[in-house]
Amino acid sequence: MSLPEGLKRIDENRLEVPKGYKPGMRTNGIIYVDTVLEKDLESGSVEQVANVATLPGIVGASMAMPDIHTGYGFPIGGVAAFDIKEGVISPGGVGYDINCGVRLLRSNLKKETLAPRLKELADALYNEIPSGVGSKGKIRLGPDEEGKLLLTGARWAVEKGLGDVSDLEKIESGGCLDGADTSIISQRAYERGRAQQGTLGAGNHFLEVQYVDEIYDEKTANALGLFKDQITVMIHTGSRGFGHQVCTDFLEVMSRAVQKYNIELPDRELACAPFNSPEAQDYFAAMKAAANYAWGNRQCLMHWTREVFMSVFGMPPAELGMTLIYDVAHNIAKVEEHIVNGKKRKLVVHRKGSTRAFPPGHPELPAVYRNLGQPVLIPGDMGRASFVLIGTEKAMSETFGSTCHGAGRVMSRHQAIRQAKGRAIWREMEDKGIIVRAAGRETLAEEMSEAYKDISNVVDVVHNAGISRKVARLRPMGVIKG
Amino acid sequence: MDFETIDISGDAGIKAYGKSREEAFVNAGFGMYSLITDIGNINERQEIDIEVKSDSIEGLLVSFLNELIFRFDTYNFIGSRIEISDLSIQPPFFIKAKIFGEEFDVERHERRLLVKAATYHNIRVEKTGDKWEIEVIFDI
Repeated sequence: MSLPEGLKRIDENRLEVPKGYKPGMRTNGIIYVDTVLEKDLESGSVEQVANVATLPGIVGASMAMPDIHTGYGFPIGGVAAFDIKEGVISPGGVGYDINCGVRLLRSNLKKETLAPRLKELADALYNEIPSGVGSKGKIRLGPDEEGKLLLTGARWAVEKGLGDVSDLEKIESGGCLDGADTSIISQRAYERGRAQQGTLGAGNHFLEVQYVDEIYDEKTANALGLFKDQITVMIHTGSRGFGHQVCTDFLEVMSRAVQKYNIELPDRELACAPFNSPEAQDYFAAMKAAANYAWGNRQCLMHWTREVFMSVFGMPPAELGMTLIYDVAHNIAKVEEHIVNGKKRKLVVHRKGSTRAFPPGHPELPAVYRNLGQPVLIPGDMGRASFVLIGTEKAMSETFGSTCHGAGRVMSRHQAIRQAKGRAIWREMEDKGIIVRAAGRETLAEEMSEAYKDISNVVDVVHNAGISRKVARLRPMGVIKG
Repeated sequence: MDFETIDISGDAGIKAYGKSREEAFVNAGFGMYSLITDIGNINERQEIDIEVKSDSIEGLLVSFLNELIFRFDTYNFIGSRIEISDLSIQPPFFIKAKIFGEEFDVERHERRLLVKAATYHNIRVEKTGDKWEIEVIFDI
């Protein structure tokens, strides 16, 4: 694909979508891609960066990270900040899977200790972690219980005995956003969330046993408790049907709000409302409840993962050392303070397929990471790698403290299935030393490596641009998919 | 069952056709179900009634499909036959339908995609000539 017409290269890591690219743009767009990833840039996603720039009250540029691809309304990989007085909030800038995110656990195990037990471990994890279309979770939430979860997030799970209080400080926002309001959650969202807490879901969600194969920054890796050939576990999932229903409900509310507040939109999926309006405040409170649902979900799955490791390796928790490194949200909107043109401003920052990447010293970081910066967790496809990065000052000044979130697809599901025809993807993976367990018949073909951008290229762009810094690379060994 | 799937990067969509708008809506429902499983293996053991309102025809289609998604994602109900008894494509836009099907069973039914929602992205509900055509993309 050639570069869509009208774009200008700013430097080796950034393209500009000039203000005149589309009528109605209030600001320019900036896309973080180098000349390698530029080739995968879809014109539809560039259009979406430009569309976001037309929204009222946008502050700074409409941005996209190198894992950009076409989404609904906002592009995936999009970052946009709005003034809390004159700006808007948009469910499309968060996405259907509210607080889809990633958490990473460390361990004291080394690759060679685990390798002989890998198949057994993968089977045990697959049996214990509910995954896939139509799977049934182990938890049934009564209305009171679900309400508590929506208000307290990961803490709800810890209070149920799933995990440890010390886990909470290593979760973005402590695993709970204050200000969730259960009274504005629809009956349908309640019902849909009743049996889905503690489930992985399907699609690109996964639970992965990995090992650290390369360390780029010894000092930071050490401070995070990471070392070469160490076993880690990564969990990628979100708020499941609960979050999807909240998004669905509020897209309807917002499409009425657009008319009420006379907002002109180039795309219906950008439906939004002035941040101070009742519609926006209701969405924000419901989104927080969904974010809390997701943090509870990842907490449950992590707890069961630890239990499986304990039973497979017959080791007590202290010996396994499976502590949480961090948990990030990559589909979320947050009110944050940022310096814009030398002035401190409160903004509602939308990250849709983008990870927060706060620098050392930021007051929102937990004490353990205050001097280090925020750990950034970037999952790749099931055959290549995932990365740990750290937040930087440059992210704060350039991207509202944001970086990329993953690889981003380059192939449609059907293209992938066609390419995989006649091949046994599970065997190709096994030849590489990776054991995969998936619920869906075509999941492996759809999720094969070639269907995604090479995560290393994506991470190189954010590293070279200075909006986060590489710390370690993780290679998959055992993958559980839906 | 006149529908086809649309191949897009990341997600999936369907095109559905019908001699009447009712038939096109029914085929859109089948198209959506076929993303989740092979509907040829779904038996008629239960029936549910649904009723959906909206403020536009596109909104009605999205709400109708989201209702089917909700019933599946919440109660595991998946349909193999859809009967529309009432469909208004002028204000007030509404649809009334009966869906015949059964509870999804991972032992017996193929697991395809997890459909999160129907979207307004490039949505189309149109009459061309004497045929109704629907195009809709789902978040997967």
